[in-house]
Amino acid sequence: MSHKKAQNWFWLVVLICVAPAVVAAQDSLAQQQSRGRQIYVQGTSRSGKEILAYVGDASLEVPGSTLPCAGCHGLDGHGKPEGGVNPSNLTWEFLTKPYGVKHESGRQHPPYTERGLELAITRGLDPAGSKLLAAMPRYVMSREDLNDLVTYLQLLGKERDPGVTDNKIVIGTLVETSGILADWGKTILTVTNAVFDEVNSQGGVYGRRLELNVIECSAETRAAARAKLESVLKDQQVFAMANAMIAGTEKEVVPILIQNQTPLIGPFSLYPQTGFPLNRQVFYLLPGLDDQAKSLAKFIAEKPEFKKSNIAMIAPGIAVFTNVIDAVRAKKDAIVIRYESGRFDVTDAIKQSRQAGVDVVVFMGSGDDALAFMREAEKLNWFPAMLVPGGAIGVSVFDAPIGFDRKVFFSFATTPEDHTAEGRNEFRAFQAKYKLPPALITAQISAYVGAKMLIEALKRAGKDVSREKLIQVLEELHQYPTGLTQPITYGPNRRIGATGAYIVTIDLKEKQFVPVSGWVESN
Amino acid sequence: MLVKVLMVVVLLSGAAFSIEAQTPKTSAVRYACPMHPEVTSSRPGRCRKCKMTLTKVTPAPPRDPNAITSMRISDFPIQDQNGKSLKFYSDLVKGKVVAINFVFTTCTTTCPSLTATFRKVQQQLVEHKFDAQLISISVDPTTDTPERLHAFAEKYKAEPGWTFVTGNSSDIELLLKELGVYVANKNDHTPMVLIGNDKAGYWTRAYGLSSPDALVKSLTEASNRPGRGSGF
Repeated sequence: MSHKKAQNWFWLVVLICVAPAVVAAQDSLAQQQSRGRQIYVQGTSRSGKEILAYVGDASLEVPGSTLPCAGCHGLDGHGKPEGGVNPSNLTWEFLTKPYGVKHESGRQHPPYTERGLELAITRGLDPAGSKLLAAMPRYVMSREDLNDLVTYLQLLGKERDPGVTDNKIVIGTLVETSGILADWGKTILTVTNAVFDEVNSQGGVYGRRLELNVIECSAETRAAARAKLESVLKDQQVFAMANAMIAGTEKEVVPILIQNQTPLIGPFSLYPQTGFPLNRQVFYLLPGLDDQAKSLAKFIAEKPEFKKSNIAMIAPGIAVFTNVIDAVRAKKDAIVIRYESGRFDVTDAIKQSRQAGVDVVVFMGSGDDALAFMREAEKLNWFPAMLVPGGAIGVSVFDAPIGFDRKVFFSFATTPEDHTAEGRNEFRAFQAKYKLPPALITAQISAYVGAKMLIEALKRAGKDVSREKLIQVLEELHQYPTGLTQPITYGPNRRIGATGAYIVTIDLKEKQFVPVSGWVESN
Repeated sequence: MLVKVLMVVVLLSGAAFSIEAQTPKTSAVRYACPMHPEVTSSRPGRCRKCKMTLTKVTPAPPRDPNAITSMRISDFPIQDQNGKSLKFYSDLVKGKVVAINFVFTTCTTTCPSLTATFRKVQQQLVEHKFDAQLISISVDPTTDTPERLHAFAEKYKAEPGWTFVTGNSSDIELLLKELGVYVANKNDHTPMVLIGNDKAGYWTRAYGLSSPDALVKSLTEASNRPGRGSGF
């Protein structure tokens, strides 16, 4: 008995002494792998030390970042054949097959060891001492960097992107659940959860449940929410984001996503950032106000009564409208009148417009400002066409002077015209199943479509899902029918699923909206 | 001009190979019978069959196996990396010594090497004041907008004299077909460089991953080719 007791004591002591060492070792292994991954993917060292690549007969020297390993061997290590170059499979199982490797070219060699890999990387030789393919550069890097890289290569192809495990995928979202947008935020949350619940009840995506990681905020706590988002992404908790409300905070939120390489599908925003260089991670469903303004201008230019179509663009001095103004001016010249919010000088705006012979006004101010403008114009018996991107002046338009009857035009990113019979039935069944109230239908539909698009992309990306594959399959979507919106198309240069707008005019006598166009493509 | 080119050649790679193109030493002067061409001799004399005086034969220059004997390049409308509309032949090729490679900006395998090689070639050309036009044609013109090409050119520090070409996908497809490099899948594009001297009507191919020195040497050889007269 005492012997057994002593043995127990021994193991306890061993555990106490060794466990911290094991933890420390694991920690440094993870750090080493993460440093090695940076070298593999980006060709740069976290230490700041130089990494150089020599191509061909070594006469061409370039920075490692020009020719990182992943460029040819792929993020998964399987190799990306291209231009007659067939980069080898670099996964550890393949390289260390006990019976060696025989390449298609006939070259064969014994299994790689860590030392063998070092020789391949630095001297371009395989374990048999034969030269590697001419396209494989030789690299010069510090001893520590080489160790990190070789350590990482043993993990290559086995790692998973953040937020993915054997049985779940975590998707993040960011919604305002208090403040003026609370109803919207709550609706988005309810719908997204319901779509996830539905797919989970059917067995998830390739056996993985979808889980929603929610960051809630209000207009006042946006900054805190961004800090939370940053830490959630840094902690590798989330694979991708969906249906996040980023209207007005895009310039702050998007860089966080880019930095953490986290894709976002279906953000809620009227001012998508889609200029060059592209934010690769962010996929919008519907057009922003810039696209809609272009469609409005295109629509009006085709009407005979606005042949001259001298355009004035009137907008508060807020930065977000600059994109809209630039978008229209890229197509057609226009005079621009900006003013400080709440201090709209109606007389001056009308004077400037009249002097320029304006007959079309793109109006982006408030409903009150729009009414003031139209009432003042009426006094001069001047009735220009009023184009309102996104119908942002709202129902106050019904109080406009009768002279503007059918002269005010709203644009909409989607209307019930988009609903196919199948799409409508499916959505009605969904609404009934989850007892969704008949309010904020636009928000419901947008969230529904956003979540469905994410699931479709996850399915297309396959069981070995990665963020890179997710982006790739989304970029390949062409005219994908959602049943509830215009078909969705993305591409390497395109991040807005549908670009254009529906245009309706306002019948001031009957006080109703009258559709005057089908879908008008903005480009 | 010739002196200048020769100097460049000498500067670049030593005198060893350069003069060869002008005075071939490898093939000695031969004499042959005008009636019986199979009768040849290394010395003047008479034909052993018909006793006619043997005449001097100028040996044909060795055939360049990569030379392209018929090349027609049309004036396709294209855009450069600054979004400027150009005509491919008149603006980029006519009367010039050129090197053309084929890339796309989202390619991560061979294109970085191809482009870095062109960068080195351009540095050497600038250093030796050798006037040659470098052209990189996108094999993925739909994705490669002028903005993308501009960013790509900046990344590789391209200087004036190196034009990145994109355009309407059907025009670029026809252009690639004319140049004999069209492939249906952009990932199958060959790492090949076309080198030409338009004035001389001389075109040849080089492996795109050759060393920058080898490409400069090919360009020098191309520029040494005698012109076919002005106006062509």
